[in-house]
Amino acid sequence: MDEREIIEGCLGGKAASNRAMVETYGTLVLSVALNVIGNRQDAEDVCQETFLQVFRRLDRYDRERSFKTWLLTIAYRRSLDMLRKKRRFAEFSVRARFEPAVLGRPGDIDPADPAPLPSKLLEALSPRERTALCLWANEGYTAKDISEVLACSASTARVYLFNARRKIKALLENDHGLLQNG
Amino acid sequence: MDFCKTVERLYAALPLRPFRDWLIRIHMDRCPRCQERLLSREEARSLLVRPGQTGDGAALWRRISEEAGRLVPAPKAKGSGGRLAWQWAAASAMAAVIALTGFWLLRQTGGPGFDARAITPADRFEIAYVKVGGAPAQTFVYQPQGTDTVFVWAQKTP
Ligand SMILES: [Zn+2]
Repeated sequence: MDEREIIEGCLGGKAASNRAMVETYGTLVLSVALNVIGNRQDAEDVCQETFLQVFRRLDRYDRERSFKTWLLTIAYRRSLDMLRKKRRFAEFSVRARFEPAVLGRPGDIDPADPAPLPSKLLEALSPRERTALCLWANEGYTAKDISEVLACSASTARVYLFNARRKIKALLENDHGLLQNG
Repeated sequence: MDFCKTVERLYAALPLRPFRDWLIRIHMDRCPRCQERLLSREEARSLLVRPGQTGDGAALWRRISEEAGRLVPAPKAKGSGGRLAWQWAAASAMAAVIALTGFWLLRQTGGPGFDARAITPADRFEIAYVKVGGAPAQTFVYQPQGTDTVFVWAQKTP
């Protein structure tokens, strides 16, 4: 099934097309969410929300634009929502002076899950910088492509990407220097 | 080399995005020395999770299929305003019922002579399922340590 057939099928509510959509683009969406959020369970939630939104709103997709970029725009926005939600819960927990006893659905976390996580160094970047770096390195996106996902100008996207590359390089060199001196 | 340092100082001194973009385009993107101070694509890939490392799409489909099965085909744009209004009305009604039930329970449990041990299971307040905007809401349950108090946070699924 090619991209056009998958989209047509999903618009017609065909389960087989929905499945093909997830099987074709699922790992892409999950990798972006994982690189932006840094947490497997939240990234899987974002992945699910992204596809449910895509199935609901596919009629709004403009066929003149890249489907992949439209899909990644939704994944990026859902990832930002997840980060905001986590920050709100953290603030709420501090104000209420208690620890969350139950958060999310039980059974989703597998402590033995060997799935890889992005480097902790990426925590030094803002979510926009992480997204720009991920799209540039993994998907070969240009500043113009990245700007469509981040909903900003190409000029701004170029600065996000530049800052991300510069900050992480400096951290890597610092680590390297520490190892050599140690 | 001195020119590179001057550009870098200018970049740090003026955090204006159009100006920074201009410096990147006219010098940093073209200068081999400045490029050496930037992470390469290969280095970035080694720090990021790549699509091929996240498992297979079939496993993701198993997780998503149940929710996707409840979806109806994408709604047409016309008439969506009316549907949205009904969804919000339903959500408001649901919130009002929950608030009133909570208020009633607080009055009952706070009143004189109330004995918590006398509650039968049927009298207990339980939320098994919360819908907001006509769709299952995301629900988070908190229980402060060492108390019987339970907080339920429900919000519309995006
Ligand atoms: Zn230079």
